[in-house]
Amino acid sequence: MKYEVFARVNQGDDTIHIGSVTAKSDRLAKVYARNTFNEEDWDRLAVVREDHLLDVEGEAKPMVGVNAE
Amino acid sequence: MTDWSEPAVDYMQAIADTKILLGHRYAQWSLAGPSLEDDIGGAGAAQEEIGHVRQLVRKLEEQGRDADWLNGDRKPEEFANAASLDQIDGDWPEYLASIAPTDRAAWYMLDAIDQDDLEGLITKMGEDEYFHLEYHDARLETLAAEDPETIQATLEETLPQVLALIGPAEHDESADPVYNAGFTDRSVAELREAFADHYRELFADTDVSLEDVDWDAPPIEEWDETRRRASGGAVSEEDITQISGKQNELFAMN
Repeated sequence: MKYEVFARVNQGDDTIHIGSVTAKSDRLAKVYARNTFNEEDWDRLAVVREDHLLDVEGEAKPMVGVNAE
Repeated sequence: MTDWSEPAVDYMQAIADTKILLGHRYAQWSLAGPSLEDDIGGAGAAQEEIGHVRQLVRKLEEQGRDADWLNGDRKPEEFANAASLDQIDGDWPEYLASIAPTDRAAWYMLDAIDQDDLEGLITKMGEDEYFHLEYHDARLETLAAEDPETIQATLEETLPQVLALIGPAEHDESADPVYNAGFTDRSVAELREAFADHYRELFADTDVSLEDVDWDAPPIEEWDETRRRASGGAVSEEDITQISGKQNELFAMN
């Protein structure tokens, strides 16, 4: 399963997307993210399952039904 | 600096030697993992273990151990590493089921040390170890689902070897010389119990059974208190040559 990785350096900063990892469990994804992206002294490092992202654009676009009658 | 008792020096030597071998095995397997993330984790752990060794060796030198001897100028039979690291045969599951319990036991032993002048050092090592052990458990969980037979068979071999590193079950608060010397604040018996409980819980809902593990190992009459093992054996000469860097000392920068 793919996980997107987010981080911020200082409290109050925006949490930004810094990459992704592929893992077989949430627990493993967190460790992989720490191992892979530990070059900074992060204030926060987090992972989000790719299928938990809510699409706004890019997938099936929402259509507003228009009744012509 | 305080003087440690001889059993305490041997206890720390066993932790340091186990960490030398942990660093060596992590490095050997760091390009053999099933994913890039596993490789990166292994390479990072190798670096951290060698960093820990460097600090522990300095402390052992302060207790009178010879620097060259500490740094690998000795016979394989003089290393006090956990027997689970003498050699690792097999693939990734065998590797994981060998290093994971060994790294955890070495950490439990370090964490039990109750010496003011080592407190900062051990706290820093604990920050590294948290991620080693978390990674191992997460990986053992996935491997327990994918290949329970191999994980179980390997643990039946390695867990008794790692229990020998911690020490014999008979070393409770009344009989553990390291605890009685005030070097540790938990006896071997207490560490063994925490160690066993951890793995019983980790594998409780998996197809890996630990029922056939010899949880009473090692027999105290066979236990070597200096090398903290029961069955003899040692790492290979080739491992020692690599660890000591002897083969390449010609290229050392002076």
